[in-house]
Parts: sequence; structure tokens; C-alpha cells
Amino acid sequence: MKTTVRLGLSASLLALAASAASAESTVRFWYHFDNADNPMDALIAAFEEANPDITIEAENVPWNSYYDTLYTSIVGGNAPDAAMVKMFAQPRLLEMGALEPLGERIDAWDGKADMLDNLLDLTRGDDGENYYLPVQYVALYLYYRADMFDELGLSVPTTCDEFRDVAKALTRDTNGDGQMDVYGFGFRGGKGGHDHWASFTLGRDGVSLVDGMDSEAALEGTQFVVDLFREDGVFPPSAPNDGFQEIIGAFKAGTTAMTIHHIGSANGMVEALGDKVSAAPVPECGGGHWTAFGDESTAVFSTAEDKDAAWKWISFLSTAGNNTMFNEATGQLPVTKTDSAKWSLHPERFVTATMESLPFANLLPNRSETSDFVNTVWPVAMQRALTGEITAAEMNAEIAELFGQ
Amino acid sequence: MSATDPSQYDVPERPVRRSLARQVLPYAMLSPAVLVTLAIVFLPMIQTAWMSLHEYVLFRPKEFDFIGLENFRAVLGDEVFWISLRHTLIWIGITVPAQLLLGLVTALLLNQSFPWRPLARALIIIPWALPSVVIALMWAWIYDSNYGVMNDFLLRLGLIQRSMPWLADPDTALGAIMLTLTWQGFPFFAVMILAGLQAIPKSYYEAASIDGASTWRQFRHITLPGISGVLVTAVLLRVIWVANSFDVIFVMTGGGPGYATYTLPLYAFIKARTNLDFGYGSALAVTFTILLMIIVVIYLRRTGKALR
Repeated sequence: MKTTVRLGLSASLLALAASAASAESTVRFWYHFDNADNPMDALIAAFEEANPDITIEAENVPWNSYYDTLYTSIVGGNAPDAAMVKMFAQPRLLEMGALEPLGERIDAWDGKADMLDNLLDLTRGDDGENYYLPVQYVALYLYYRADMFDELGLSVPTTCDEFRDVAKALTRDTNGDGQMDVYGFGFRGGKGGHDHWASFTLGRDGVSLVDGMDSEAALEGTQFVVDLFREDGVFPPSAPNDGFQEIIGAFKAGTTAMTIHHIGSANGMVEALGDKVSAAPVPECGGGHWTAFGDESTAVFSTAEDKDAAWKWISFLSTAGNNTMFNEATGQLPVTKTDSAKWSLHPERFVTATMESLPFANLLPNRSETSDFVNTVWPVAMQRALTGEITAAEMNAEIAELFGQ
Repeated sequence: MSATDPSQYDVPERPVRRSLARQVLPYAMLSPAVLVTLAIVFLPMIQTAWMSLHEYVLFRPKEFDFIGLENFRAVLGDEVFWISLRHTLIWIGITVPAQLLLGLVTALLLNQSFPWRPLARALIIIPWALPSVVIALMWAWIYDSNYGVMNDFLLRLGLIQRSMPWLADPDTALGAIMLTLTWQGFPFFAVMILAGLQAIPKSYYEAASIDGASTWRQFRHITLPGISGVLVTAVLLRVIWVANSFDVIFVMTGGGPGYATYTLPLYAFIKARTNLDFGYGSALAVTFTILLMIIVVIYLRRTGKALR
């Protein structure tokens, strides 16, 4: 009898300990959503219901300082267990030894076959290992005011030369007070605007950030951007400092007739402008075509306490159905075949423009210097070139120097 | 030896204990504050100085190589350092005197009696009470080239012919931010000077007017000496605060366009926080601290002499 009691007692203690151990599994997850009414709570509730032994602590970290905060937290030993991450940050995160390899887990995962083709290859590390699990994607394209194009009898530009002519025609004083009321193109001269510049520059023959930045072709690209502002005056005067809010706000307000961004802002644009806004791939410049592929993945950090739990959570986000819910909040496109086939969140013209842009959509080089290029070197050099402090050649030379050409 | 000489008695134990207690007690009571200050001010300061002697890039946390004064040598050869230093000097040299003058005028006005003086005194403090980020965002909108009231106002007055991109033009960006900071900081001077003004006895002015002193002479010989102590302290505090403050610049332009609004603290912050180059960022911060200390010491010596 005694033995039975003792056995029973120790068995229940063991069970208690086991359940306590698994119930303690908490996954700290960092993400960035611009959308105020984000559905993370609904996703977490659905996940926790399916996995009662795991608790998700999700934190929305402001985008402007997302990577600064992430890197600092890793060095400070307080990194999250999993987070949303972009490709440009991967070399740095790998250098810091912060990422957990996910290849084996992805291979064993049911959802792998449902992933859109190529996404897992695109997000692979330099060493061939997968550290990222894609969760959404976009490609940048040209937004334009269809009504203004009709009014002036213009057609959508397909080359840089056409783009320049169209932008000049669209830049006008509509009420005759001597002030420009509409500018041809809303250029993002502040942080994050490298994609605009890149569309005009990196498609050119033999030009990439890591090679050929000192070439004549690259100079033509940068000079083209500088001339649009300084010679043609087709950007608003505030362009050197303008960021995301400014370019989107100006386009919605009718101050600019074209700009470059992705499908994430499509619904907001339609809400403000209805059928007056449409989209097309960015123009081809210097014989080549380049647009930015906007990637977003999730990753598990090597310091995560319970890596299996963290993996369960991030793979949950990239599974059909959940991925739709996730992308409804960010306004981007789902990464699963099932969700893509049923996608109806955006008006078709924006999905088409994205699809048509995919064949020439590129990521920035998978190099450690890319972070500095994005955060400081490009914005400072571009602003100085736009305001005439340095020449286009000097700007390109700064970029070439950063990437060690 | 007199009868009252205490040495003739055996000194009992208690006074010894009491004097010991008197010696120890102040330190014991001060120690929490001192310890906290040591931990959150001095320790990071020493750490910064130590880091400035190393090559320490945050995304290569394993490499922490001692390089002596190499970072400082690089700082002196860095074009951006000199641009930032020049902007910092302009920034302090114009903003603080502008705040002081505006504050002085405001304080003199508020020291007069008029019906709604209490309300005016309360309202004047608003810019000072608002968070810097709110002020920065508000003024960024005021300066906006498409919707800003500044352009609208100046266009209507006919002072400019076309909208100016105040913050996107390197010639006007720093000036525009200095105007913002002047607006934010002048209430501090106004309140401090007002307190100083009210401490000057009325009888001085009465005596002066009986002697036939003009208003200017009264200001020159009674008011200014009366508030000089307050002025010295307020200017010193403001120089240090203005020199270190980069939140308004960071929110309004992020240092742009180009390097047009870079100041030294902002440059150190960007180097450390955005480029994650903590070694170089620390060297910039240490250099700036030393420069600021030199300015403060010179200022205190000169004003100290003048006050005497």
C-alpha cells in the first residue's frame, strides 16, 4: 500500500513538474507593424489555443529604430527568442552569431511544400543554410495618378527618358498663383529612399552596389536623379528630407503625381483616391530593369530558451490561413501558395503590378556593409547630392568606397 | 590650567561615540545617492572612456581590440567631425544668447503689473513644459513646404515669392531648428530671471528715481547686478543642456539634409547607435565632453571674476 502511494505520489509529482516545465515555455517575439489595429492578438490567441503549453509575448517595436534596438538587445544579452527580420540584416546577425539554423526544421515541416517557389532560396544565407522563414513579401512599383495622366494625355512611362518627360509635364501650377501645386514625382530623399534611386541606377548595364559603382553607367543613373530635382524641378522642394510618411501623404493629397512604393500602401491610396490611383512596374533605365524585392521573414535566435517553441510559433505564422491573417495587417502579400491563390485583399491592378515586377525584383547585396549603406551612407550622400554639396560622381564614389571597390 | 579645561577630566566613552557617529552619519546618509550616481553616471562614463580606446563594433562583439588613441586620431582627421563641431559652436553660440535675450525681455514684461499677469505667467511656460518630440514634430509641420503655416504666412506678407523647404535646404535647416530651440528654451530664462527680478527690493528703484536716475540707468545699475547671479547659473545650465540636446534635431531632420544639421552629440549618437561603431562613437563623445568642459571652465572663471 505504502509503495503504491509513494509511487503514485512521485508519478503525480513528475507529471506536475513536466507540465510546469512545458507551461513555462514563453516565446518573446518582436515585430513591426505600421497598422494600428494589428491582429497579433488574434493570431496569438489562435496559436496558444493550439499550443496551450506555450505563451507568446509579442512586442511591436517601432520601425525607425527596429534594427538599432534589435542589435543592441542581442549584444546586451536580452534578445527576443524570435523576430521579424529582413535580408539586409542577415549578414550582420550571422556575424554576431545570433541566428539559429532552421534548415532541418524547415525540411521536416509540413508547410514547406506550400511555400511559394524560390522564396526559401532567396532568403538563404551565404553559407547555403536557411536561417530565415519568409512571412510576407512585396515588390516595389510605380504608383501614378491615372486621372492626371488622362487629363494631360500621357501614357505610363516604361523607360527613364519617358519618365522624365512625363514627370516634367505633370509638374504644374494648376490654379495660376505662381506656385507649383503638383510635382511629377515624390522622391524619398530620407532614410529608406535608396530603393527609388536604385530603380533609376542599378538596372543599368554592369552596375550593382558591389561592382561598377564608379562606372559611367552608374554615374548616369545618379546624375539622372539629381537632374530631376535640380534641373527639372519635378520633385517637391522638401524631397531631400522626405521619408515614407511624406511621400505617401503628398501622393494622397495630390501634391505628387507619381511615386514608388509597394502594395502595402495600396489600400490606403485607394481609400484616399479611389480609381484615380493606379500602378505599373518602374521604368527601365539604361537598358536594364531593377526594382526592390521587399522581403520579410522570421528567425529564431540562437539565445532562445526554447527553440522548438519559437520555431512552432514562427512556422505557425507562415502556414496557410494564419499567413493571410498576418498579411491583412501588414497589407503585404502572403508567402503560401494556398493563401496567394485566394488573395483578395488588394484591388487587382496592384497585385498585377507586383507580379509583373517580380522578374526583375532584386535584394540588396548580402553584405555586412549594406546596413550602413541603407542607414547612413546612402541618405547622407543622396541629400548632399540633391542639395548640390557634392556631385553625383562623388556620391557614387562614397558608395563604391563603402563596398570596397 | 583653568577649572573649565575639559582635558582635566577623563573623557567618557559616549562623546567619542557621538563624534564618531557625527563623522559617519553624513556619509551614511549620502551613500545611497552617491552609490546610485556612481553606478548610473560615473561607471558608464569610465566605460565610455575605456571603449573609446578600443576598436569596438557592436555587430562583432567578440573583437574588442585595444588601439590606444587611434580613434581620437581618426576623429581629428574626420571631415564630419569638423563640420559637426562648427555646427555645435553655431548652435550654442546663437541659441543660448537668443534664448537669454528673449527670456530677459519676457521677464521684464512679466514683472510689470497688468490685469492678466498671472495668466500670462502660466502661459509663457508652455513651450518649456512640452516634450521635445512634440515640439519637434509640431515645428516640422510649421516649416513644411507644402502645408506649413510659416510659408503661408511669409507668402501672404510678400516676404518670399515661393514656398521654401526650410528643413530640406542646407542653408536654412540649422537656422530653422535653432529658432525652434530658442522658442522651446526661452521660458526657462524668463522664469529664472523673473524670480531674480522679484528679489530686488523696490526701495532701490525708489531711491534711484529720487536721485534722478533714468530707466536705462536703473536697469544698468540695479536690475542687471540684481539678476547677475541668476543669469550666470541659468546660462551655464543652458549651455550644457543645449550643447547636449539633439532630440529636436534628430526628430526634425535626423541630421540632414546631408550633414547640414549634424552636431557633435548627434554624430556620436548616429555613429554608436546606427552604425554600431561604439569605439568611434565613444571617442567622439569623450572629445566633445572635454571641449565642453573647457568652455564651462573658461566661462566660470570669467564670470566669477566679473561677479566679484
